[in-house]
Amino acid sequence: MSTDLAIIGAGPAGMAAAIEAAALGLSVAVIDENPAPGGQIFRGVERAGGDPALGPDYAEGLALARAFRAAPIAYHPATALWHLDPEEGHLSLDGAPDLTARRVLLATGAQERPVPIPGWTLPGVMTAGAAQILLKTAGMVPVGRTVLAGQGPLLHLLAAQLGRAGASPVLILETTPPGRRRAALAKGGFWAGRRLLAKGLGLLAETRAIPRHCAVTGLRAEGRNRVERIAWEGGSARCDTLLLHEGVIPATHIPLALGLEMRWDPVQQCWHPAVDAYGASSHPNVAVAGDGAGIGGWEAAVAAGHLAALDAARRLGRLAAEDFAGRARPWLRRRREALALRPFLDALYAPAPASIPDTTIACRCEEVTAGQIRAAARLGATGPNQMKAYLRCGMGPCQGRLCGTTVAALIAEARGSTAETVGLYRPRAPYKPITVGALARL
Amino acid sequence: MRRMQSDSFDAIVIGGGLVGAAIAWGLQRQGLATVLLDEGDVAYRASRGNFGLVWVQSKGLGAPWYQRWTRTSAGAWPGLAAELAERTGADIGLAQPGGVHLCLSEAEFEARAARMARMRAEAGNAGFDYRMLRAAELRDMLPGLGPSVTGASWTPYDGHANPLRLLHALHRAFVEAGGAYVPEAKVTEGQAAPHDFAVAAGGRRFAAPRVVLAAGLGNAELAPLFGLAAPVRPQRGQVLVTERAAALLPMPVTTIRQTQEGSLMLGDSMEEVGFDLRQKPEVMREIARRAVLSFPWIGGLNIVRAWSALRVMAPDGLPIYDQSARYPGAFTANCHSGVTLAGAHAHLLAPMIAAGALDPALEPFTAGRFDVRAAS
Repeated sequence: MSTDLAIIGAGPAGMAAAIEAAALGLSVAVIDENPAPGGQIFRGVERAGGDPALGPDYAEGLALARAFRAAPIAYHPATALWHLDPEEGHLSLDGAPDLTARRVLLATGAQERPVPIPGWTLPGVMTAGAAQILLKTAGMVPVGRTVLAGQGPLLHLLAAQLGRAGASPVLILETTPPGRRRAALAKGGFWAGRRLLAKGLGLLAETRAIPRHCAVTGLRAEGRNRVERIAWEGGSARCDTLLLHEGVIPATHIPLALGLEMRWDPVQQCWHPAVDAYGASSHPNVAVAGDGAGIGGWEAAVAAGHLAALDAARRLGRLAAEDFAGRARPWLRRRREALALRPFLDALYAPAPASIPDTTIACRCEEVTAGQIRAAARLGATGPNQMKAYLRCGMGPCQGRLCGTTVAALIAEARGSTAETVGLYRPRAPYKPITVGALARL
Repeated sequence: MRRMQSDSFDAIVIGGGLVGAAIAWGLQRQGLATVLLDEGDVAYRASRGNFGLVWVQSKGLGAPWYQRWTRTSAGAWPGLAAELAERTGADIGLAQPGGVHLCLSEAEFEARAARMARMRAEAGNAGFDYRMLRAAELRDMLPGLGPSVTGASWTPYDGHANPLRLLHALHRAFVEAGGAYVPEAKVTEGQAAPHDFAVAAGGRRFAAPRVVLAAGLGNAELAPLFGLAAPVRPQRGQVLVTERAAALLPMPVTTIRQTQEGSLMLGDSMEEVGFDLRQKPEVMREIARRAVLSFPWIGGLNIVRAWSALRVMAPDGLPIYDQSARYPGAFTANCHSGVTLAGAHAHLLAPMIAAGALDPALEPFTAGRFDVRAAS
């Protein structure tokens, strides 16, 4: 099958791009791993859209999902892209027949930054994002004493959502180092970002009653067969569920596998593909929109989706230049507004410098410790790919998604280099596991 | 070359892959102060794409010296694995239970039987132990064999190991014995005189009376600087790796092996595409198809990784070993079997290089063989 635009991901950016492109007369296919539209932020929105625990944004997500369903789009849910040949425009899919597309838009979103503290592999320790998925898809909340540790908007959102669901956390441990607030305040953007700021302050007010410690360091989860305590420099508390979160970073797996040009974000200490104002990447047939091109939140992602669709229509000769400019203008403005508060948030919630103890596991799939990685870096592994050859880190089912940033940081530390210089894993297909039988098509 | 302070060694080995690391370890083990120069994190590195067979049975048809060298290496392997385990604590996962080559049609079976008979004839006094097995007999050896399998050849010489653990262990053993491993050191210049060599790499200068070119595909460009020839070309191979499964395969098959951790490795293609590392879904599909025909139960396993890599191929597919006639002390080693030949490289070739002369048994591997053919 052949299509004008193939979109990978049915989150805010992917849905918005599909709606816009279809309205412009392009044939559109959307590939998404999830069984229903929404992405991470609006996961299960068609079922849970009215749930007050999830908050007012969810209603807006529901409207987006309905418009997406109503548009003439070839939508392939529960389908994974396992290989993309950008020159040929060939998409190899698991769950649907392969596709050929004239242009491909990656709207694959973000992932949580790994938080490798001692004991983070104990049962009962999970990420805040994982807990939120359980809340959104199964209405499940943790039982017993829940502690949230880390930093970032999602931490506070989840605290509020758990509270509304009657499972308020007993303690919040914030890792934001002292002095960050002053540096962040200098970034401004408060008037243009007032709506988002109000939302954030509202969450903080809503969770005010929860005991919290600030500028916490030295976090470690303790317990025999599961987490029993959370300890930090100068304190500890009983804990049945520990939810960790240090912010989200762009999901770079497919951009890296395609060899797209990447940029380092020195504030947020993460990589993102280099894109222009409309999401065009370094490859002439590939665009990236939404959090996958740089964290901006769902409203910015919606705007970026529209812009990428307009750009696709222009490039495919379906939209004249003057028409393009007029249609792009309002979305450029809306994205600017949505991103107004971002410099403040990025500076405030920049990852706190932390030294990972030698015995702590860095690569969970292959159970490789920080100490092994440091030793191999001293032996002569100057980057993550040679490290992978030495120690198998990044070779497990997650293919380095979870350990990539940690491994690079450890190599940089051991060799007196920087994570930017050390570089990244070079992922290969299959981007997601596929069975031998499905590949063989026998 | 810019005048700068040079670091002096007994030997310089260019190339930190399996070939270079095995030779460097072998030299250091002999007491030669050796420097091993390697590229950085991203390079072609065939060693990172190796399938991991210690494979004898199909090597050297029409070239019995290659069969002998391969079998000698397989014989040296247990000693190498044991010494690396002792020095580094690393388990390289060597197992040499013999191996089979599966045939998926009657025609494949007949062709294989003819090939194996010729191998035995060519082996002469060295002997060549093998059997052709029909599917019924094979089913007792290999559980879950598919109905498409018509038969197989078997030899007792074959085995497999973990190529990445081998690489890591060689580097560790080399460094722990006092060797100097220098990454991010692609050689940019070379100076040659008999028993007097200097190279510039990674902003430093190294000097030694011996230099060994083991830079894989990089040898093609390096060799002329040292009075040598290494006419090697890239040949792409693609490999699929599944999630871990219970131990089911008691011995490796030419294109399927179960690792010590339980993953199934499925290989491998031979594609003449130049320096192109892209993966091709249609080639991956064919690898998967043959694997499922061989063992239907593999079809249910998830592929968690796959890759492509470039083999280092001479025009006739055999290794090239040479010492420069013009600049004695300069050696080159080229092959696409860095795992199989690691035993020979560490324990046989390295002592020859240390002693300053290649054994007459290696004479047929000279690059001069290609000139002869061109001239005839």
